[in-house]
Amino acid sequence: MEKIISIKNLNYTYPEAKTPAINDLSLDIYKNEWLSIVGKNGSGKSTLTKLIDGLIEASSGTIAVDGQEINEDNIWDARKKIGIIFQNPDHQFVGATVEDDVAFGLENQGMPREQMIIAVDHALELVKMSEFKKRDPQSLSGGQKQRVAIAGVLATRPQIIIMDESTSMLDPDGRKTVLNLVEQLREQQDLTIISITHDIEETELSQRIVVLNDGQIVKDGKPEEIYDLGPELTNYGLEEPFSSKLMSTLRESVKLPEGYLSGRELKEQLWKLHSNM
Amino acid sequence: MGRYLPGDSLIYHLDPRGKFLLTFYFVGIVFFANNVASYALLLAFVLFAVYLSKINFGFFIKGLKPVFWLILFTVILQLLFTPSNNPIWHWGIFTLSKEGMVISAYIFMRFILIIFISTLLTLTTTPIEISDSIESILKPLKRINFPVTQVALMLSIALRFVPLLVDETTKIMDAQRARGVDFGEGGLIKRIKSFVPILIPLFVSSFSIAYDLAIAMESRGYKDGEGRSKYRVLSWARRDNLTIIFMIGLTIILLFLRSY
Repeated sequence: MEKIISIKNLNYTYPEAKTPAINDLSLDIYKNEWLSIVGKNGSGKSTLTKLIDGLIEASSGTIAVDGQEINEDNIWDARKKIGIIFQNPDHQFVGATVEDDVAFGLENQGMPREQMIIAVDHALELVKMSEFKKRDPQSLSGGQKQRVAIAGVLATRPQIIIMDESTSMLDPDGRKTVLNLVEQLREQQDLTIISITHDIEETELSQRIVVLNDGQIVKDGKPEEIYDLGPELTNYGLEEPFSSKLMSTLRESVKLPEGYLSGRELKEQLWKLHSNM
Repeated sequence: MGRYLPGDSLIYHLDPRGKFLLTFYFVGIVFFANNVASYALLLAFVLFAVYLSKINFGFFIKGLKPVFWLILFTVILQLLFTPSNNPIWHWGIFTLSKEGMVISAYIFMRFILIIFISTLLTLTTTPIEISDSIESILKPLKRINFPVTQVALMLSIALRFVPLLVDETTKIMDAQRARGVDFGEGGLIKRIKSFVPILIPLFVSSFSIAYDLAIAMESRGYKDGEGRSKYRVLSWARRDNLTIIFMIGLTIILLFLRSY
């Protein structure tokens, strides 16, 4: 697999902070994967995003994006490859209307207007928000605003999309729509997704999960490996996934196969138990 | 004045730059009117424009509300204090005369004309169109290194965040009310004081929104406004030229009626 982001021995300490926010962190992220970075508040996950996009400068260590180590001179090139969807939909909506907001990133690149019109329409189509083109942000729901934010990022054709707790302020419906949309786009557009969250349930679509604690990676593995940690996850300030809790409760009274069971496997086991009764 | 009212009519489709400048121009020529005929002409023009906008007349009356007391005060002042050689009624410092009545009627008309025309502008033009017009009008200042595009972006972002800050204020007020602050009670000083616990959190949250927004803008490649292209463009059409010609015609008739 091809590496798209390669982080080596990264350190960052906020001014006037005693402990480092990122502590000697190394991580490789591969092309077209959906990587979830989970951790409690203050574990360093948002700091990591800002470091990757060069919004803050690392104390030491290196970050390479698409094979190029980022520094002050090429940071704007690196940023073109990365799109970030932030947490609060209202705090990232720059334009007065949906189409204006989608065009913002393109305007920054100095794209000619005729091309912009096509790119904006295309991006809005991808997130299924074309009919809202002329609307102002006040008339949109949180999920719709995040879809516009995704369109704004897609319009500039990045290779990597970072979702920094982008669904934490949405209702369950909005969250589901946004996550499914992102997964669909990942497949279609050959994107790499890095999603940052404190809610382990939001990682179900990812292919790999990294658990961050005190600025260090404590676990790195496939979702089933991470979910299988069960109660150990609470040590890192995370909640045990519902399916894992259910399994351990079931194991107290009935015999289940060893190891982590996916939702479907668990359902099959439940049916089996039900028909044996 | 008023908030933008979505609609569809000739006035809505006029170029905002033209509307913006012509509104100011009209406010200027209102002061040239000096007799019944010239005021009647201007009133006819304003009513015609209101008719063309297809907006319910009630919205224009509403526009008068905030300045109602100012109008009343000015009109009464003119009515009672205009000096005259043949007063109808005289008592102490108060004088009521025919001249006073005419002058106060004119002043009243000026208020109506200016408020109606500027209400027409704000009802039919979105804030963002107004900010685009300002940018376009200020463009010549680029030569003296005035950061026109940056100022225009600042203006449009400020407009974009007004509703958000209003929401924020309501939230803070509710939170303070829940802690027992009463905003409607007490004397003037006490009322002003009770706004301090709103302003401080509002400042704090504005700064945090501004910080988030700056990070989001930078992540989307915003540098310093140089080398940006523009998605929203204003287009000047034939109807805008016709409006200007119409305005020139109005001015000529006005000047004629004035010396008549």
